Amino acid sequence: MSGATVAQPADSAPIYHKAGSLRRERRRALIGAYIALAVFVVFFLTPPFHMLMTSLKSSAEIADLSGNPWIVSRPTLENYWALLSQGSYLTHFVNSVMVTVCVVAITMVISTFAAFALARMRFWGSTALATGVFLTYLVPETLLFIPLFQTIGGLGMYNNLWAMVLLYPTLTVPFCTWIMIGYFSSIPKELDEAALIDGANHFQMLWKIFIPVALPGILAATIFAFTVSWAQFLYPLAFLVSSDQMVLTVGIISDLIRGDTFQWGMIMAGALMAALPPLLVYAFLMDYYIAGLTAGATKG
Amino acid sequence: MSSLPPGIPAAIAPPRAGTLQRLARRRSTLAFLMTLPLIALIGSLVIYPFFYALYLSMLNKRMTKFVGIDNFTFLLGRETFQMVIWQSVIFAVGAVVAKAIIGFVLAHVLHALPDKGQRKWRGMLLVPWVIPPAISTLAWWWLFDPSYSAFNWALAGIGAGPVPWLGEANWARFAVILVNVWYGAPFFMIMYLAALKSVPDQLYEASAIDGATGLQKLRYVTLPMMRNIISITVLFSLIVTFANFDIVRILTNGGPQDSTHVFGTYAFQVGIQSGDIPLGAAVSLFMFPMLAVFAIFILRGVSRRSKEMAG
Amino acid sequence: MTLKGMTRRDALRAGVAGAAASALPLVNVHGQTSGGRLAVGFWDHWVPAGNEAMRAIVDDWSKKNRVEVQIDFITSVGNKLLLTTAAEAQARQGHDILAFSTWLVQDHQRMLEPVDDVMGRLVQKYGKVNPVSEYLGKVGGKWMAVPASSGSQNKGSAARIDLMKQHAGIDVQAMYPAETRLGPGADQWTWETFLTAAQKCNAAGMPFALPAGTFSDATDWIGAMFRSYGAELVNAKGDITIRSNDKVKQALDYAARLFQHIPGEMFAADDATNNRALIANRSALIFNPPSAYAVAKRDAPQVAEQVWHFPSPMGPAGHYTPHLPFFWGIWNFSRAKPAAKALLEHLSQREQVEKLVAATDGYDIPAFDTLTDLDTWSTVGPPRGTVFNYPVKPHHKAEPSIAFAPAPPEVAVQMYTQGIQAKMIARMVQNKEPVDRVLAWAEREVEGFNR
Repeated sequence: MSGATVAQPADSAPIYHKAGSLRRERRRALIGAYIALAVFVVFFLTPPFHMLMTSLKSSAEIADLSGNPWIVSRPTLENYWALLSQGSYLTHFVNSVMVTVCVVAITMVISTFAAFALARMRFWGSTALATGVFLTYLVPETLLFIPLFQTIGGLGMYNNLWAMVLLYPTLTVPFCTWIMIGYFSSIPKELDEAALIDGANHFQMLWKIFIPVALPGILAATIFAFTVSWAQFLYPLAFLVSSDQMVLTVGIISDLIRGDTFQWGMIMAGALMAALPPLLVYAFLMDYYIAGLTAGATKG
Repeated sequence: MSSLPPGIPAAIAPPRAGTLQRLARRRSTLAFLMTLPLIALIGSLVIYPFFYALYLSMLNKRMTKFVGIDNFTFLLGRETFQMVIWQSVIFAVGAVVAKAIIGFVLAHVLHALPDKGQRKWRGMLLVPWVIPPAISTLAWWWLFDPSYSAFNWALAGIGAGPVPWLGEANWARFAVILVNVWYGAPFFMIMYLAALKSVPDQLYEASAIDGATGLQKLRYVTLPMMRNIISITVLFSLIVTFANFDIVRILTNGGPQDSTHVFGTYAFQVGIQSGDIPLGAAVSLFMFPMLAVFAIFILRGVSRRSKEMAG
Repeated sequence: MTLKGMTRRDALRAGVAGAAASALPLVNVHGQTSGGRLAVGFWDHWVPAGNEAMRAIVDDWSKKNRVEVQIDFITSVGNKLLLTTAAEAQARQGHDILAFSTWLVQDHQRMLEPVDDVMGRLVQKYGKVNPVSEYLGKVGGKWMAVPASSGSQNKGSAARIDLMKQHAGIDVQAMYPAETRLGPGADQWTWETFLTAAQKCNAAGMPFALPAGTFSDATDWIGAMFRSYGAELVNAKGDITIRSNDKVKQALDYAARLFQHIPGEMFAADDATNNRALIANRSALIFNPPSAYAVAKRDAPQVAEQVWHFPSPMGPAGHYTPHLPFFWGIWNFSRAKPAAKALLEHLSQREQVEKLVAATDGYDIPAFDTLTDLDTWSTVGPPRGTVFNYPVKPHHKAEPSIAFAPAPPEVAVQMYTQGIQAKMIARMVQNKEPVDRVLAWAEREVEGFNR
């Protein structure tokens, strides 16, 4: 039993030989694992660290290039304070939250129904549809936004925050549907037959059996949808013009960069604060997330 | 099929002809209705604009005349566009391979850690993925600045000369791939970690009894179990990376001397900045056939394997 | 209410516009403006005070004329303004008036309302329009948009007084004093003099920060340099004139010599690199509007005190200063065209221009000849008068220019966005390609734009 669990770190460390030197092997593997982790943590966290340091500097200190750029000599919270007390950062933050929440909700409704139908209720063209849904990612936003100007314009939703609620699901729904198709098809079929015999209709079946059983999968899809809509850049850049309609990603760029002058301190502070909601969502839902992806993906 | 792991539910009862047949008609109507929102969404906001873009790409520059495939043949004859094609391939393939490997290694390493420590490390490793990429790329861009950047400052500190991160073709290509890997690797890590956790311990135990080495376990147990997730993740990431726009746009704007242009940035430069929307649309459309073949191939494999698993 | 508002506007129009106003279709105003609403998308000025001044002027106008005006300030960062223009052209909705950057009037000419009436009156009042604005704002002899002061900029020299004196022996303050005369040395301010100065300053560790990438700061100064050597890639008729063009060779040869003294990293520079170099006290000269100076004033005042603005050098074929104009255009789908025209005409009056230029510390350059003498340019400092020579003034004997003019704009815009001249230089200097190969390459590229 213990042999089996030890073997995994050995995959990335020197090959595991015999059971004799087990303890030493295990410790060596663990040390190897920590070294690998440390290397990647440094790689992954170098830019965020630099962002953090910059966000704590005054603009004069940022402009002064004589010192060490990696440390801050006179830390100040003025950038954070300025963002929160003046300008439209908070408005954009609230807009981002509203759009993201709505998009996640819409995404989940659409893809839960679709995944249920595609996984359980085969109908003419359902296999093709399942594949086709994923293929929509092949049509990039950089191509779509030009024709979409007309579509959105025709709906009278140009420069309207709610147009994002319409557009983002095209980016989230396909992947979420795929995750959930995989998850739903791993639920034993006896369950739904039993339900049908008990006289439940399909909606009751979905509501009472599939959703509770597949909750981790649904959470996984939720988190994916959340990240994608939170970080989306091109559509809001192209479709939102008035400051009161903007979301965070575009708001930061448009408010804090003036021509060729960058307010680096505030940009970095704004970016770090913008990273908080997804980070919190991950912290709370991570374990569900991993469990959810597991079932969805391996079966998908 | 026979190697089906015991941990995964695979039971399927033979359909009961009586009850189900009666419902079959109603059921497929209902199923269609349930997928209707999906179809409506994709149809109106992806498929329709896609065909419209296809039509656009066959117009002349002023959008007054239909020119068929002239725009496409014109592009293929351009030296710069030929560069764009192979640069896009290098960028996407290079970045996805690196992301896949890093994600794989990290997932393994994390999986080996005790549960308590795992969370903390996992949290730190996820940070690149949660900062909005449009802004984190700006931070990278600043770090890369040749004479005033923190990177070259640090290099100077250890006595190394300044690196022209974005100034020399190969360094610039490396830099845009590096940033993409930095942003995307955590996603792979999470997907793989999830897959790893789904491999039942019994399989490893069984293989340990058979005397398998670590590498053999990786090859005969882990990899087969992860094949679907690896395929889907790689496919998704490949498509998204191919279509990437922000990173190159912000870091190099396609330079130096067009050596980092990819489809997205080149399409933007031609279509929006130079006012030739049909040609820009044509550039973006080149991606489609290249990836569609690949995607259908992979998705088929995934469907086949999951059917095998399901019984 | 509607009716009342309308008559007031009529009165206004009659006042400002004279007889031309009576020709305007009144039914249009009445039927479609719903009491006079105007949506305007201005360029988001990098000086926030510029936005406030604009808002004040428009609010004032709006109250007087009972036209409700909604203003959006749209940044050009991240190509936002560019995307917005494309979006509104495709969607056929959005603003009535929009700010059009450099080439966009040409791109969207078929969607714009001609403004010959407004321009006719403005030219009569304020004199000729600079050649760049005319080249970019007119299509087939018709004005398609009104040249905007807001955002229009020159990219002449912004140099350090102390460093230029100390290392290059040039007293830039004496050469271009804050008075309407040229000082000693101004007649010798040629690209060759410039090269010697670049060499000396580079040797002293204060190189000129001259970008040569594909961003507009690079394209603009290189375009002016080519032009002052008479080096046209495409002539006004649209013929490609690259191969065996001695003037192009001459310009390239000059660039190759100049870049011996410019840091190699400038080939990857963007529009912020040169600003940073100046502000961080690492460069003696950049080509830039006073935005770099203004930031220095805030973050590095001891540097700002030494910054002086003056025209870029002259060459054998003339004296050209890079100029990037903005325009205000009226979409042809606008339902409030008369009101839009009235507002644009109001904004272009000397009084308003004066306020806008003052609010932006002299950054904005009006297009009309007689408006280059505003007070602001003499008073901004320290050093007092630093932007006196920032606008092209009659005594400079220089001409504002844009890269690739006078080639037909639809070809020029592609050469511009692709930064062809900068790439030619990069091929010469970085790749060490022989000049004939560079010319052959450029010719193939440009042929592709001519479709």
